Amino acid sequence: MSIEPITGRYITVEIAGAPRRIYFEEAGQGRPVLCLHTAGADTRQWRHLMNDAKVTADHRLIAFDMPWHGKSLPPEGFETEEYLLTTEDYIETVLAVVAGLGLERPILAGCSMGGRIALQLAALHPEHFGGFIAIEASDFQPAWYDIDWFHRPDAHGGEMGAALVSANISPYAPNAERWNTLWMFMQSGPGVFRGDLSFYTRDDSLIGRLAQIDTGKTPVHLLVGAYDLTCTPEDAKRTAAAIPGATVSVMDELGHFPMSEHPQGFRPFFLDALARMPRVAAQAA
Amino acid sequence: MIDRFREIATRLEDQPHLLRLGRLFSETVLIEIEGDEIYLTFDTGRIVSVVAGPSRKTPWRFALRTDADALEQFWQARPAPGFHDVFGLAKIGRGRIDGDILSLVKNLRFFKEVMALARCKEEAAA
Repeated sequence: MSIEPITGRYITVEIAGAPRRIYFEEAGQGRPVLCLHTAGADTRQWRHLMNDAKVTADHRLIAFDMPWHGKSLPPEGFETEEYLLTTEDYIETVLAVVAGLGLERPILAGCSMGGRIALQLAALHPEHFGGFIAIEASDFQPAWYDIDWFHRPDAHGGEMGAALVSANISPYAPNAERWNTLWMFMQSGPGVFRGDLSFYTRDDSLIGRLAQIDTGKTPVHLLVGAYDLTCTPEDAKRTAAAIPGATVSVMDELGHFPMSEHPQGFRPFFLDALARMPRVAAQAA
Repeated sequence: MIDRFREIATRLEDQPHLLRLGRLFSETVLIEIEGDEIYLTFDTGRIVSVVAGPSRKTPWRFALRTDADALEQFWQARPAPGFHDVFGLAKIGRGRIDGDILSLVKNLRFFKEVMALARCKEEAAA
């Protein structure tokens, strides 16, 4: 028998003028690191790092489920709402969680759409963060598929979504973690993956904001897997080149969900990224 | 190359989970390799015929058009980036998928894993 150090709780914050009950998990002590999951998934993607004693020895990792995802319910009235994530709502959600949990300038580590919003926050609200780890993140990715495939009455969006994103998982990923990663997509609520992809594939507003990121105050390090077909190494390098002072590492044997699909392979890259982030004075316990 | 697809058809018979996943899939798929046509006809998840073209009279639901080297790379145990997935071939410009794409997407896991049955070794993943 073993009991993991991860603990889960709920916080209610106000987003878009209405309360949202957000599920979050945390583990460790020290410098706070707020972790953002990918589209169509949830906090479980971070569980390996949160169970990694070397990471949590001096870092407090916090991850939360976006509304509509995992254990965070959709807002009241969702049954008649078309879920379409926007940059504005996403930013408001992250900032509300930072404030609600009293996090003092956490490092923001986001993957895929989480990496995209991390770069948006680096450009627009850097004063709330100590640094940014943008994983499988780029300036803009138009869809190379039809996002409407993933929400239709005659097929299972979760199964189709999982089959699509399997294209982004490295053949080096352990088989069990490949399927654990895909399971989250299979479980995603109807229309949620589509609504996330709407943000990811249609909003190109980050492109014009990259140059205003001040890495002298808040460092930006990008991590990208060679097997990521959605955000390729070329996409990440182009994005890093547009941010003065940003750095990028290519992970040869990893794909689009590195912390989830191949935690051991990702671990050294994440530790290196953390080492690149500054130590700020006061850290919330 | 057609022998590789006959091998896939044989291996599919030993994959009960794929036969279950494909139980509603009864379509013909065109595989075109540098202009050479191969028609795979599925019946409730089984490949019941592997027929070489050319044919102007065989209807097909969707097609994967690629080249022999790309397929051989796809069938490596650990393919290089882009060659590791059917959609990857399209993304890197080494393949094209056309026809009824929605039919493919509805059966995407099934089709991908069937195509990967010719992979080199036991730990190969779809």
